[in-house]
Amino acid sequence: MTAVATHAGGGLADHVHPEPQGFIRKYVFSIDHKIIGIQYMITAFLFMILGGMLAELIRIQLMKASGGLMTPETYNEVYSVHGSTMVWLVIIPLLTGGFGNLIFPVQIGARDVAFPWLNMLSFWLFPPAGLMLYASFLMGAPTAGWTEYPPMSLLGGAGTSMWAAAIFLIGVSSTMTGINFLVTILKMRAPGMTFTRMPLFVWGQFVTAPLLMIATTALGAALAALFVQRQFGVAFFDPTRGGSPLLWQHMFWFYSHPAVYIMILPAFGMISEILPTFSRKPIFGYKMIAFSSCAIAILGFMVWAHHMFTSGMAPALQLPFMVLTMLIAIPTGVKIFSWVTTLWGGVIHMTTSMLFAIGFLATFTLGGITGVFLAAVPFDLHAHGTYFIVAHLHYVLVGGSLMGILAGLFYWYPKMSGRLMNEKLGKWSFWLFFIGFNGTFLPMHWLGMWGQPRRVAMYDPQFQAWNQVCTYFSFVMTAALILILINALWSMRNGKRSGPNPWNARTLEWQIPSPMPYYNFKHVPSVFAAPYDFAEPLPYRGLEEELTGAPPPVPAAH
Amino acid sequence: MAVASVSHGGYSGAMTEEPDQLYVETRELRIQGFLLFMVSDLVLFSSFIFAYLYLRNSGQGWPAGGPKLDIALAAVNSIVLFGSGATMHFALENWKHRNFTKFANWIVMTIILGAGFLTGQVLEYMHIGARWSSGIFGASFYTLTGMHGLHVFAGIIYLTVLLLQAAQGKYTFTKYTGLTLGTLYWHFVDVIWVVLFSIFYLL
Amino acid sequence: MPENRDPVVHLDRQFWIVTAVLGVLALISILWWVWAPITSIMPEAVDKAQQIDALFRFLAASGTALFIFVCGYIVYFSLAFRRHAGTPENAVGIQIHDNNKLEMWWTIIPTVFVVIMAIFSLRIWAGIEFSPSNTLVVEAIGHQWYYTFRYPNVNGEVKEMHLPLGQAITLHVTSSDVIHSFWIPAMRLKADMVPGLINTFEFTPTRPGRYEIICTEFCGTLHGEMHSGTTQNPAYVYIDPPAQYASWYARTEREQIQASNAISAPLSPNQLNLSRGDAGAGAKLFAAKCSACHAVGPFDQKIVGPGLKGVLDDPAHPQLVDGDKATPENVAKILQNGFKGSMGEMPTQAGNGLNNKDIVNLVAYLKTLK
Ligand code: HEA
Ligand code: HEA
Ligand code: HEC
Ligand code: CUA
Ligand SMILES: [Cu+2]
Repeated sequence: MTAVATHAGGGLADHVHPEPQGFIRKYVFSIDHKIIGIQYMITAFLFMILGGMLAELIRIQLMKASGGLMTPETYNEVYSVHGSTMVWLVIIPLLTGGFGNLIFPVQIGARDVAFPWLNMLSFWLFPPAGLMLYASFLMGAPTAGWTEYPPMSLLGGAGTSMWAAAIFLIGVSSTMTGINFLVTILKMRAPGMTFTRMPLFVWGQFVTAPLLMIATTALGAALAALFVQRQFGVAFFDPTRGGSPLLWQHMFWFYSHPAVYIMILPAFGMISEILPTFSRKPIFGYKMIAFSSCAIAILGFMVWAHHMFTSGMAPALQLPFMVLTMLIAIPTGVKIFSWVTTLWGGVIHMTTSMLFAIGFLATFTLGGITGVFLAAVPFDLHAHGTYFIVAHLHYVLVGGSLMGILAGLFYWYPKMSGRLMNEKLGKWSFWLFFIGFNGTFLPMHWLGMWGQPRRVAMYDPQFQAWNQVCTYFSFVMTAALILILINALWSMRNGKRSGPNPWNARTLEWQIPSPMPYYNFKHVPSVFAAPYDFAEPLPYRGLEEELTGAPPPVPAAH
Repeated sequence: MAVASVSHGGYSGAMTEEPDQLYVETRELRIQGFLLFMVSDLVLFSSFIFAYLYLRNSGQGWPAGGPKLDIALAAVNSIVLFGSGATMHFALENWKHRNFTKFANWIVMTIILGAGFLTGQVLEYMHIGARWSSGIFGASFYTLTGMHGLHVFAGIIYLTVLLLQAAQGKYTFTKYTGLTLGTLYWHFVDVIWVVLFSIFYLL
Repeated sequence: MPENRDPVVHLDRQFWIVTAVLGVLALISILWWVWAPITSIMPEAVDKAQQIDALFRFLAASGTALFIFVCGYIVYFSLAFRRHAGTPENAVGIQIHDNNKLEMWWTIIPTVFVVIMAIFSLRIWAGIEFSPSNTLVVEAIGHQWYYTFRYPNVNGEVKEMHLPLGQAITLHVTSSDVIHSFWIPAMRLKADMVPGLINTFEFTPTRPGRYEIICTEFCGTLHGEMHSGTTQNPAYVYIDPPAQYASWYARTEREQIQASNAISAPLSPNQLNLSRGDAGAGAKLFAAKCSACHAVGPFDQKIVGPGLKGVLDDPAHPQLVDGDKATPENVAKILQNGFKGSMGEMPTQAGNGLNNKDIVNLVAYLKTLK
């Protein structure tokens, strides 16, 4: 382990400290973006198991129309913490802190993020926040859903304040991550890595970072207001003292709508890496995909009130929100069509990762289309607050974000461990997951249309049969996820060795050894073309020694 | 990075180490990161400003004829705060002109003015009479000005630390990113106050 | 990327066959949505339900058709361009990067869909939001965890909702505690019931029958019981033919008067012993019965009615809204008779379900608001 410390006259790119020794500095309070990325992933997957267990509790409760497993009070706590966990402790940390940290700095040819210490701090805010959220079960967890609308959230137990504090911490952590990533991408790209040569995963992170920075801060304000109202009686949301419950809804959704794009844009980026690699084809319409991400991010700030069509805003306001929301289908459609075109004429390697990516295309499209239905106010008047919403949100979040994450897990696993995950088991788990997922959430569309409201611990007996279908399929999905977990754990020691580039991929992270070495590159490479020309030689210079194990270059004397 | 070793009071040639490329690039990163931090801080204020305007215009429960704010006091206070922005500017300029003594004087001046502003705020709070928990005026006014006050308070501590660090030789006359950031921060707090003053006292 | 280097490609016959098949499937799905028996599962009880269903059929048809094409091509390409066992390891696909014409189409297609969907939605939306006047105004109030209703000229809150067939209705919804929601699936309409805010929607019942009302906004422990399926207070709306409605209305009007008489015959304010009230009990009553409309703030702090701080104690507020002097007797009079003025309508003693003692206690409490 001889990364040479050089304080020679070069800039940041040559600024290399010796690799830290000792377990604590190396794996616990590490400032290495790759270790931090893995820390994020492990923590988030642990929370995913918790959140998934809560989801199964929900499904078991709903096996019977009269409930039976839990009291309504407990049930309310369970889905509130389920939603909060999955959004804030699983999907967002995995996509930004996890895969973002692990991959994108390497893809732009940087040796670390701009502020490694800040990065470490961001991570270390995350586990305490998660523990706080779960500790709230001890004192009456929040019950009003992940959206915590007042006045209900003002009446809840002390756990609701804990919830607010926990999510606030996560928000601070996300804001810092956003700043960090943005500066890194703006300032630390390798020579020649122009914006139009950046891999699309980097584009995903690049448009997500400002969302993280701006939207999470707005959420912080809303949470702070809720907290001080609960603790000090400040009257923001109290109608009897001039406050307004709708104010919370505005403040919350102003964050939370952009937040749903935080949860999908990086996944779009992953898909944009995986599809070309396994089709052996350049991604179709690189510029349109990159540009449409920006369009989505900008439009994403202008549509928040589509969650509030029924809550009493002026009809004149419904109109722009309806139209702007529908507009988002255009840039998203451009992406979907470009991805499908990428498949055309390829030489498609059906790896597990590719299966998940293709599955993503299908299920996310369905979820997106139901989203456009909901944007139509008259239809939303019927569907709001029902299982139709639950179906939409799981199709985009599980069928979109989570499928993207699983595709990414199989794809980038070698970069973490130096080994491949088991493909055979992987394909089995894909099909189980795909079937289980659709079986769980597809029926919820008509359940909602027919009149089953969301957030209920018991329901009309006429819906029982379909709810049981949902529950049984959710067991299938759980089995699939457990298989993936086993696969990941088992492959850590027993997987096939991958070598640096098992998929013949062309972005920079595949041109260095797996697992990726401390400080990533011996030489910072220079880049002279976009990364997706599978028929061309690699467009990088300066990586010649990277894989040969030759001694690191001696920096020119200064 | 060699820290310029400076003997007491000897702020002269020893402190003019030439900036290398590492310094230049790091300085750029830190300034950009800091600007982005201020953007997100601005979002925090904007959210509460939105809340204030929303509550005020939703027609429910805003005190008739407006609350009893002392615009004269606030105006004086604003001048104090803007003055401190000017003194901070002079401080940094003097550092750039390699005059430590003047730098230190100006920064002390800034801290005093900042403290003066906080005192003025406390006076205003005492004379308004409303409480944080009494109605939505209290909620908006005390939350926003309180947050701003905390920013000023943090700024005073920040500037004090910078002064001490400078005295210990942490910065040189050619490498002083920390001081630049401190100045940026202080100006940012000033600008926020302009907005708060206009929406509470002039609107 | 150098576009001119991209190979020229042609689509083969297989592609067009698949496209044709997908087209047929899409057409079938569109026909299915046109004829789908929605109303046999969910009857359409009001005029607007028909409009919303029309919109849904349209959205569902275009959405399904789009989905069939996207998914169909995904499956077809995945199978057709799969790497075969014999393909060399380093084989690459057709190296196309961009194609301006195709990309233009990829933008135009969703744009066209969005424009059509938006226009259709807007038309239906305009039909739903802007409706005829000359309506019967009914008020629905959400409580934890049941609904009550107010009718013009009927004292107090009634437990059942009846609507006359064919008469245009304006429904005002609000809440006495937390946010609820008022949804009748058979009407395809819903509005949140927000404390301190009145939401409105309008419709004309077109089909007699009994339809359930469902709360879709989380409102506390028994939110899940706030509908007809499991609750002790089944929530239904009855749409009655006009004659039947008229008789229900007459009966209810009578019963409600009797009910309020049963509470106790209203005494004239002078007969009430206004000095003997219990302010503590009054405060509790106020929180339960009045705070939905009144703040304990200054007069201009309006929720539905005015703020009540200093009604009896503020020299700057010598007169009540009805022009009488602010004395305990006159306040009691407002509590008994209600008042209709510029701000809105304050219900009567019976409307609020108060007995004489309650009024005495409330006045005692109002006196303490200084
Ligand atoms: C990304 C977010 C996300 C994810 C992944 C999920 C996953 C699931 N969700 Fe959830 N859900 C939400 C976000 C999410 N949900 C939100 C935001 C709400 C709204 C809450 C509210 O109303 O406030 C909600 C609400 C919600 C409801 C409605 C509750 C109600 O309104 O009453 C239901 C009901 O069925 C449900 C079910 C499920 C199920 C069965 C899964 C399953 O997919 C879960 C399967 C997962 C597991 C069982 C975990 C096991 C995994 C392992 C053991 C291995 C993991 C490790 C590796 C992969 C390496 N969810
Ligand atoms: C990853 C998360 C994610 C994503 C990406 C989206 C994407 C979209 N969402 Fe969704 N949404 C949620 C997560 C997400 N949503 C959650 C969690 C909730 C519930 C919150 C709660 O209350 O608990 C919600 C709720 C929600 C509502 C509120 C419903 C209600 O409560 O009444 C609405 C209404 O407009 C909506 C709309 C949309 C739209 C238009 C998109 C668009 O971005 C979709 C665009 C994509 C496509 C359209 C598909 C691909 C395009 C084509 C194939 C081109 C052609 C297509 C057409 C022209 C239709 N969403
Ligand atoms: C459905 C709404 C509603 C409810 C419930 C209600 N009020 Fe009112 N109240 C009003 C309105 C509206 C007015 C003002 C009428 C106007 O001037 O237009 C009013 C006026 C008054 C006034 C006169 C205030 C003044 O300054 O002149 C008093 C006193 C009062 N209400 C007390 C009560 C009490 C006590 C209760 C509880 C038992 C109560 N109200 C319940 C709506 C309501
Ligand atoms: Cu009432 Cu939910
Ligand atoms: Cu949204």
